[in-house]
Amino acid sequence: MATPIIMPRQGNTVESCIITKWNKKVGDPVAVGDILFAYETDKAAFEEEAKEAGTVLQIFFEEGDDVPCLTNVMVIGNPGESFAEFDPKAGSAAPAEAAPAAEAAPAEEAASAEAQEAAEAPVVIGEMKISPRARNLAEKSGADLSKVVPTGPEGRVIARDVQKLIDSGLLVTAAARAGYQGGVEGTGLGGRVSLKDLEKKPEAAPAAAAAPAAPVELGQPVDDSYTEPMSNMRKVIAKAMMTSLSSMAQLTHNISYDATEVQNARRLFKEKGEKFGMEKISINDIIMYVVARTLAMPEHKALNANLIDDGKTMKYFRGVHLGMAVDTDRGLMVPTIFNADKMTLKELSATAKRLAKECKEGKINPDYLQGASFTVSNIGSLGIESFTPVVNPPQTGILGVCAITDGVRVVNGEIKVYPKMTLSLSYDHRALDGTPASKFLVDLKNNLEAFTLMLARG
Amino acid sequence: MSKQLFVDPNVVRAPGKITFTDIPVNTYQKKVKDELGNFTPEQFKNIYRDMLVLREFETMIQLIKTTSEYCGVPYTHPGPAHLGIGQEANAVGEAFCLDVEDMIFGSHRSHCDILAKGLSAIEKLDDDKLLEIMKTFLDGKTYAVAEKEPHETVKDLAINFLLYGAMAEIFARETGFNRGLGGSMHTFFTPFGIYPNNAIVGGSGTIAMGAALYKKINRKPGIVVANLGDGSLGRGPVLEALNMSCMGQINELWGDDMKGGLPLMFNIINNQYGMGGQTVGETMGYDAPARMGAGFTATQMHAERVDGWNPLAVIDAYKRKKKLLAEGKGPCLLDVVTYRMSGHSPSDSSSYRTKEEIEAWWAQDPIVEYRKQLVEAGVATEDECDAIVKYVKDAILRNFKLAIDDEVSPRMNLDKNPDELADMMFTNGHVESFGGDTKPDVNMPMEECPRVQAIAKKERWGFDESGKPVSKNKVYQLRDGLFEAIIDRFYKDSTLASWGEDVRDWGGAFAVYRGLTEALPYHRLFNSPISESAIVGGAVGYAMAGGRALVELMYCDFLACAGDEVFNQMAKWQAMSADIIKMPVVLRVSVGSKYGAQHSQDWSALVTHIPGLKAAFPATPYDAKGLMASALAGTDPVVFFESQRIYDVGEQFHEGGVPAEYYEIPFGKADIKRPGKDITILSFGAVLYRVLKAADELKAKYGMEAEIIDARTLVPFDYETVLESVKKTGRLVIVTDACERGSFASEVARQITEMGFDYLDATPTVVASRNWITPAHELEESFFPQPSWILDAIDAKIVPLKGHTRVTNQTLNEKLRNERRGV
Repeated sequence: MATPIIMPRQGNTVESCIITKWNKKVGDPVAVGDILFAYETDKAAFEEEAKEAGTVLQIFFEEGDDVPCLTNVMVIGNPGESFAEFDPKAGSAAPAEAAPAAEAAPAEEAASAEAQEAAEAPVVIGEMKISPRARNLAEKSGADLSKVVPTGPEGRVIARDVQKLIDSGLLVTAAARAGYQGGVEGTGLGGRVSLKDLEKKPEAAPAAAAAPAAPVELGQPVDDSYTEPMSNMRKVIAKAMMTSLSSMAQLTHNISYDATEVQNARRLFKEKGEKFGMEKISINDIIMYVVARTLAMPEHKALNANLIDDGKTMKYFRGVHLGMAVDTDRGLMVPTIFNADKMTLKELSATAKRLAKECKEGKINPDYLQGASFTVSNIGSLGIESFTPVVNPPQTGILGVCAITDGVRVVNGEIKVYPKMTLSLSYDHRALDGTPASKFLVDLKNNLEAFTLMLARG
Repeated sequence: MSKQLFVDPNVVRAPGKITFTDIPVNTYQKKVKDELGNFTPEQFKNIYRDMLVLREFETMIQLIKTTSEYCGVPYTHPGPAHLGIGQEANAVGEAFCLDVEDMIFGSHRSHCDILAKGLSAIEKLDDDKLLEIMKTFLDGKTYAVAEKEPHETVKDLAINFLLYGAMAEIFARETGFNRGLGGSMHTFFTPFGIYPNNAIVGGSGTIAMGAALYKKINRKPGIVVANLGDGSLGRGPVLEALNMSCMGQINELWGDDMKGGLPLMFNIINNQYGMGGQTVGETMGYDAPARMGAGFTATQMHAERVDGWNPLAVIDAYKRKKKLLAEGKGPCLLDVVTYRMSGHSPSDSSSYRTKEEIEAWWAQDPIVEYRKQLVEAGVATEDECDAIVKYVKDAILRNFKLAIDDEVSPRMNLDKNPDELADMMFTNGHVESFGGDTKPDVNMPMEECPRVQAIAKKERWGFDESGKPVSKNKVYQLRDGLFEAIIDRFYKDSTLASWGEDVRDWGGAFAVYRGLTEALPYHRLFNSPISESAIVGGAVGYAMAGGRALVELMYCDFLACAGDEVFNQMAKWQAMSADIIKMPVVLRVSVGSKYGAQHSQDWSALVTHIPGLKAAFPATPYDAKGLMASALAGTDPVVFFESQRIYDVGEQFHEGGVPAEYYEIPFGKADIKRPGKDITILSFGAVLYRVLKAADELKAKYGMEAEIIDARTLVPFDYETVLESVKKTGRLVIVTDACERGSFASEVARQITEMGFDYLDATPTVVASRNWITPAHELEESFFPQPSWILDAIDAKIVPLKGHTRVTNQTLNEKLRNERRGV
């Protein structure tokens, strides 16, 4: 029995995916577990494994095609079996009577059963209770469900909650949302960011890139450059960075603090934390823990916020949703630790590690790649002592975490060495002035230096 | 109830005694030779032929059921087969005397009755008429097969037509008399006067009475025969029919030209057993069914016992009884003694009777005995008799082969063409009068009717110029709307007749019919005994025979008393007859309140559950008039729910008030009583007015605009209107006075969940009565849905209402707890 393979749906908000590579071609045999094709959203890459064996009967899309989720992309079966009925381009209008009923009906059942399975997946992943109407409205409007405040019975998101998101101006077309990281100027209907605004299809890599280099005559003028299209993610990052720098008034303040207490704590966790499962808590986890709690102080709410509506509206968050910059092979990814300020250190550490791992493996649910209220970027492990992080709009601030170096200071007339870490805060001057930004850094410094107190307070 | 009848204490209390006349038992003892000269030789021989046809027909079915072949031709018949081997003589004797226009109604064991009546009709119809009937019946499909068979005369052809049509019907073939939709227990053919047989024991009792009422009220010639088994005398509806058909008013109160008893024969085919139960000595105490007549009327229904194994004895009895019926001395009852040689059905191993008993009856086989008498009297030779046997066997085998041939006799393909049956569920006709041009019998011009004059003075719009409600005394009420539609049809359709408990004089328990007593003669509007089965079953028979009936059950709760008649009879006969029969019956059902557990139930869900019934439940005078007009002009059975809470409401929705002129509101059109955008509330019946209150509160306190939809009809139900509204609002509350579990509201909730899932902002929520008994009036507000319950449900399940305090427990735990204990 021929079986269609669909484009899986990898998260609540994903409408379509791009096929990046076909590992099989028509006629190839397929064993269970074989990789059939690779695909990606603009935020994560995935591979589809074969769940049953057979032969590739047909492939409906080419590499680079943007395929709506749950659409048939290929058919596996026994040679000679009919597959035309699965062709998504043939249109669903193919009359049921035209196909031999006995054969077509079970195949259709199989296809729909699979589609159902795939369609149900988000319900398992998402923890959100939401009415069908609200979900529909969100999908149609592109409202950002991660920011929704449910007001329906028993915490259910209902239509009016989504309408509120829409009224607040967070509109991205549903199709574009999978690839949307913010900061892109929308050209779609009513200024929405649409798919057109994000490049869809990577061009084919030039043959030169892969060809072995020809012998070169040294000293002779030569043009040996070659071009390569930027990956989707790179393009999105490029646009986002550029937009960030060109569309807001951002500047950076630096401060340093004595990391003795933080280091002591880290040492304690490492040496004696194993039986509590806390041996892997890192300096960065500790910093994020303190950042989240500092941001939660009411006086710093301007940094735990988004500036939206073309700079006319401040949108404040009740919890601290901490974006965490993660370096991956594919580029920078920023998963969100939702409600980080309410987590214990242990919970926060575990969440951060899980999200980083999923990013690196390309398995992150795109729902977690958005919705942050503030971002922490740590490049201290590379020895960087100070830098200017770039704010991720519409957020109002980002904290750069630098390396620990030996600092000196005079204590009782003597020069003492202490572990010194620099923190670099970039912020949007439109959202707050220099004094409150500085006060945040001072509070953060004090809190880090009194980390034990912070921990004890919880 | 009638002021004409004086209940005189001096008479009622006077001493004396009630006397009975003797009941004759098998007084006729003649044989063929004794009747020479009274029958032609042809008639004598046809009696033999007809008994053989019946015997061979039943033997054929017996053989295919038990051996899967007949005369070497294999066939399997999975359907029912209640055979009448042994009961041929009584059937042939009865039919011999019946004219074409005489109607018979039968039982599950009526193959013999229908074949005998068919053979009799063929004998009595002239060739032209026969050909016309056969050629036009069901587009000539049955005739097309029969005409190809060898035949010498039109009557031979007609016999083939009869045998083939009946067999094809029994074997569920499209060429059968009812396209194969009726089957063995329901085979009939109205052009020969063969009316439906009934698989419900005794089902034909009330129906035959209704057909007799039709003949009486509409002055139609002929009699009606109810062929009932002795076992059916244990059934309440049969006793109700016996009682109601003897009601005294026809002679005492009806107009002079209507006086005289019903032309109705209760023909008790006394085969000694009700399935396996022995009626004499085991399951009953009557000793003989003939005794029953004495219990119902002073004429004792002219009951007597007749030897049903002697066709001549049956003919003798029928000749005498038909004369009595023609003289208006009916109804009659015959206890026709016979014996069922075959089992109740082929699975019957006769464990309840001895071999000796069966052998003793076989020893007196009426067909063998009659042949002996024919030869003995010199009417026919053995060779002539053998020729008749051959003729019959050939005819049965020939038609059997045709009826089981899938090419000649295909079945409906309901997978491929489901509409073939779906389209038969309702006839959806519009008939002004089933009486054709006949002028309706009325007592006065309509405008002289005092009620009509009173209504003319009423305010047809519920509010005065300042917007205040018009007083109850002055306002045109819902009951007036019903009345106008009803009296209108009475003045248009001469066949329309109405009966029920206290409909005359009293004007119906809720005064809907007030004024009709003055306008209509007794025979068109009369009080029935307190016999719900007979009221509804009578209407079914009245419609089958060709009339239009409007009957009522005083309380919805009494549907239970007429369960078979509503659910098995009224609902089924159109489709079971392939729409040959129309069922223009409107059954008014009044939903009560204030009267506790057995008088306050909304059972609309029972009616909607049974395919084949239309159901309306108006809540306003405008809708009540238009829907009643529509129901009374249609050809389908309608259960018309009314609510006692709102008979007196004025019109509050239809601008300009209720029109005085005639209009119809089509079934299947819900009405938006108030447009809104925030939430849809669907209402069934009287609860509309509580829904309005809830909607007012929603608006005033929470700024929500509810769209209120009044269902108006439940079958068919207008899902489109509800769905469109839900697309707009995303929210649906369904409110009904019915108990929640299994209510039609719950059904709509399920359907809308499926149809409108993507539009819904919450699951459709049902606000219904509790799954309790209805408590006393003083406690009713804890039982029936209240406006506050509607708000509670919205707050808990659809959209929290800020600051609302719930009066009901809407938690999941409470719901689960209730369901766990079955409430």
